[in-house]
Amino acid sequence: MKNLSVSSISFSIMIIACMFVIAPSSLAAKVLKIGIVDCYSGPASTYTNDVRDGFKLEVKKINAAGGILGRKIEVFTRDSKFKVDLGLSAAKELIYRENVDIMMGTINSALALAISNLCKKEKVPFFVTFSKSAKITGAKGHRYVFSITENTAIAGKAAAAGLAKKPYKKYWIAGDDYEYGHAIADGVWSNLKKMQPGVELLGQSWWKVGEPDFTPYITAILSAKPDAVIIATGGRDNVPFLKAAKATGFNERVPFFMHTATELSTLKPLGLEAPEGVIGTSNYFFYYPETAANKSFVKNFEEAYNRKPAVGAVYGLLAAKFIFGAYKKAGKVDTEEFIDNVEGMWVNSPVGKITMRAYDHQAMLPMFMGVTKKVAGYDFLVATDIVTIPGKDVMPSIEEIKKARNQ
Amino acid sequence: MEFATNISLASLFQQVLVGLSRTTILFIVASGLSLVLGVLRIPNVAHGSLYMVGAFMTYTFASLFGQSALGFWLALTVAPLGVALISFLVERSLFCHLYEREHMMLLLFTFAFSLVIGDMVKLIWGSDYRSLTAPLFLQGSFSISGFPFPRYNLFLLMMGPLVAAGLWFLTNKTKIGKIARAAAVDREMVGAIGINVSGVFAAVFVIGCYLAGLGGALVAPTQNITQGMDHAIIIEAFLIVIIGGLGNIWGALLGALIFGLTDSIGILLLPQFAIVFPYMAVVIVLIFRPKGLLKSTW
Repeated sequence: MKNLSVSSISFSIMIIACMFVIAPSSLAAKVLKIGIVDCYSGPASTYTNDVRDGFKLEVKKINAAGGILGRKIEVFTRDSKFKVDLGLSAAKELIYRENVDIMMGTINSALALAISNLCKKEKVPFFVTFSKSAKITGAKGHRYVFSITENTAIAGKAAAAGLAKKPYKKYWIAGDDYEYGHAIADGVWSNLKKMQPGVELLGQSWWKVGEPDFTPYITAILSAKPDAVIIATGGRDNVPFLKAAKATGFNERVPFFMHTATELSTLKPLGLEAPEGVIGTSNYFFYYPETAANKSFVKNFEEAYNRKPAVGAVYGLLAAKFIFGAYKKAGKVDTEEFIDNVEGMWVNSPVGKITMRAYDHQAMLPMFMGVTKKVAGYDFLVATDIVTIPGKDVMPSIEEIKKARNQ
Repeated sequence: MEFATNISLASLFQQVLVGLSRTTILFIVASGLSLVLGVLRIPNVAHGSLYMVGAFMTYTFASLFGQSALGFWLALTVAPLGVALISFLVERSLFCHLYEREHMMLLLFTFAFSLVIGDMVKLIWGSDYRSLTAPLFLQGSFSISGFPFPRYNLFLLMMGPLVAAGLWFLTNKTKIGKIARAAAVDREMVGAIGINVSGVFAAVFVIGCYLAGLGGALVAPTQNITQGMDHAIIIEAFLIVIIGGLGNIWGALLGALIFGLTDSIGILLLPQFAIVFPYMAVVIVLIFRPKGLLKSTW
């Protein structure tokens, strides 16, 4: 009998506990839930931390002013550790258990596509904040996915436009043997061939993601004597590659282009050890464009986090502006109406007025091409000779999107 | 398929040199793994994790001593010793009680150990990655017949033979080395003639782990020090030990040479498919010599 009473007590405790668990979720109707899955461990975090912090900065501001439509905003973050399976189960947990209203993430392209697929099925709007895969708003685009970052098609077009102005003829392509590496290489090369018909591809090398030693690749490329090299490395290999480039003097022997090479997230960890003369493309620098909007953004970000904002911070800010702006415009929390409102919407940002193209849900961001250089006053390299390429010039055309989607 | 057609002798020579410096790291790590495997009969899965700890400790000590040249050398000396100390404590407190148990227990223990270390590293150093700078005179590169060769790689090339010679001396000329070799062949007999086998095991385990730490310390300035560097190295180290012959440190040297050189030469000859070369070499070796190239101590 004694045992029975113990178990009945524990049973009732369980019921009470359950009530506590259930209670908050019924109250949860009064908050707006945003779920972010991204890689916060390892080298990729140099890019992703800024997205989260840029987004949270805006959330803090809105919450302090009473929230959106009377609701407080709650942000849930999960670490994908750059793994697709881990990230996808985190996304499922956020959607099914936390019932998030909006999903955001991630720097891993394969994971971004997987979450995009899940969000399409579950009808949850998904804002892609760092993946550069053109498939997200291209071939695999759908009603529930938005991209607020440039992609390989855009960067490829921008880079090709820049490289076509240079006298190089013989190229070599080298990069990470995965989705992003091949996509950015194809993006640059297919556009460059169109813009400058005389170019020749001497050869290609592909290494595994997380390659520990780039030196043999670099020496092998040099022995082929190309005029210029297109380096197609992604998130976690950019910094170690640049380190190896500096150690071997690669940058002094042959000019090379690396998308995102000029970004603060890439250059800051290297300090003055970064190689000079590397050609890169990026959506944002804290020192460019020199506008009042950018200066005040940098000031706010620095006050909050005690560091300069990198490109990710702008993606975070843009995500916040599109998401909360669309809710405000809709006047209620309704997914379908929310999406109708984001389509074609424009927001102000440190890089000017940014429009979300209605057809493919791709934000039209300007691209800045520059060259890495040591500049007095900074303990890291910065981009110089910056050329601005407007968003509308580098976006793939609607016809190209239709073709990619087999429409 | 595109073969690089204009390969000169100079570039081939250069590529061999670059491959040899990678070989050095692989050899140092794999020889430690092989030593422990040969004498203690334990496939130490945590070996790669100790390599990672070695790299992180080098970073910490180097920053502690103020990123100077002296600090770098001190860190390079102290960090592997730190790894050795950790392995000593673990061996004496936990590991030594398991020798009598089944083999599977030991394997599981080292696996658990690797997970614990992985999380400890994350707790202590965080998930950010670290970057360590070599002293000024080891930075940059010099030219060998027109091709750049990083100074630091030359330093690695000198370290390789040094470690190999040290290991040769240890196993052939010292008492503990001789006992360890005997224990590898027949540990019961060694115990029967009154030698403290447990003590020998501890010493061998610590030396093996020291080599993992040394590998990590030496590799630290050439790459990002980050989580996950343990997984990459442990797979390669095991492959090297397997093709070399289990427990044979000269087999580890041979295996590391095959692995490092097929990698770098493959990159030169067929860059698009370079990733497969070392693994192809492993497969070919195992087809013809399933027990490895040199005599296994098992």
